[in-house]
Amino acid sequence: MTTVLTRSWREPAPTREGLAQLAPLDAELWSSRLIADLERARQHSSDELASVTATVEARSRELGADALVLTGSTARGRRTAVSDLDYHVIGAQPRADDLPAEIDLYCDEPAELIAKLERGNDFAHWTIRHGCVLFDSGALREAAGHAAANDLWPDPARKLRQARHALDFAEQILASGDYPAALEQARGALSLTTRWLLLAHDVFPLARDELSAQLVEIDQPALARALADSIHNRPDLTSLNASVATARALTG
Amino acid sequence: MSPKPKVEVARKHLAKAQEEADGGDLRDAVQWAFAALEAAIDALAEPRGIEIDEKHWKRTEAATRLHEDGVLPEDLAGLHRELNQLRKAVFYEGDELTADDISIEDAIAQVETAVDIAESDRDKDREEGEEDAQ
Repeated sequence: MTTVLTRSWREPAPTREGLAQLAPLDAELWSSRLIADLERARQHSSDELASVTATVEARSRELGADALVLTGSTARGRRTAVSDLDYHVIGAQPRADDLPAEIDLYCDEPAELIAKLERGNDFAHWTIRHGCVLFDSGALREAAGHAAANDLWPDPARKLRQARHALDFAEQILASGDYPAALEQARGALSLTTRWLLLAHDVFPLARDELSAQLVEIDQPALARALADSIHNRPDLTSLNASVATARALTG
Repeated sequence: MSPKPKVEVARKHLAKAQEEADGGDLRDAVQWAFAALEAAIDALAEPRGIEIDEKHWKRTEAATRLHEDGVLPEDLAGLHRELNQLRKAVFYEGDELTADDISIEDAIAQVETAVDIAESDRDKDREEGEEDAQ
């Protein structure tokens, strides 16, 4: 018997109401998401990345995980030379230290995922909105439905605190003359500042390589240029200092 | 403003890690300890032709290789991985850390071993350079 889907999943608009506009997130819509996300993950992964994902998935299933989501730039098809490979496991943490890639595994039990959504953790919100769901026993759909029904939104104040702390650290690393660390920390601090600004404007921050375009839309061209430069080029320490100062002027 | 030699920054980052640990700021202590370990691994890997490409996971692998090659007395790959995870949680997620997450004094002591060896390397190179010049 063939199941005919009458409602199809589309990625939510990167706005506060983007997820709620798709409600109700019923079983039918979620099924279509799973199909679409698997295809999206396939399209956005090289053979090598797909092999890593297959290993992470097999290990997650072995440990009885409720869900596995490919997140970040790979999920969005916007990988850059500095992209990690990010996953969100709903369940226990599988081993990944033997895999040949820069892997970030975030792990939460279902109740903790919902708690994080309520606390305004933007990574948890990213997972349910834009992640590629590789499998889901229902925990993820429940969490997404909860977020949509309750107008949950990442907390900009939390992101601002993180941005300020990251800028403090970036400034110190820059002063140390450790170039690779300075570039990474400056890039990270600029990303966090951007995410705060976008959230404060009710815009949901997408993958890092998409943030500059989103910044231009909220009329922040200087920060947009600084962030793009830190992602695609190797600006010298003087330029990085100027970029961090631009972000600092915004965060106070 | 120009980049500084890796051995030099490793020692300075380590001093910052100790300072933050002494002041009770575990979050910053972890960040500095990680930066110190990365710089020390870079300093040890480069003259031995171990490729890093400014990638964290390659530094993790380099730590194991440096141990296998007899450069480091212990394999610091596990420590590198642990510090990397913790500092990302601090930097990107704003997580708080407690003494249950890591023994920062043990971590700093392990990183110091790598920094000491990197400094010995540098001193030996300098002596050899001076001898060659004579």
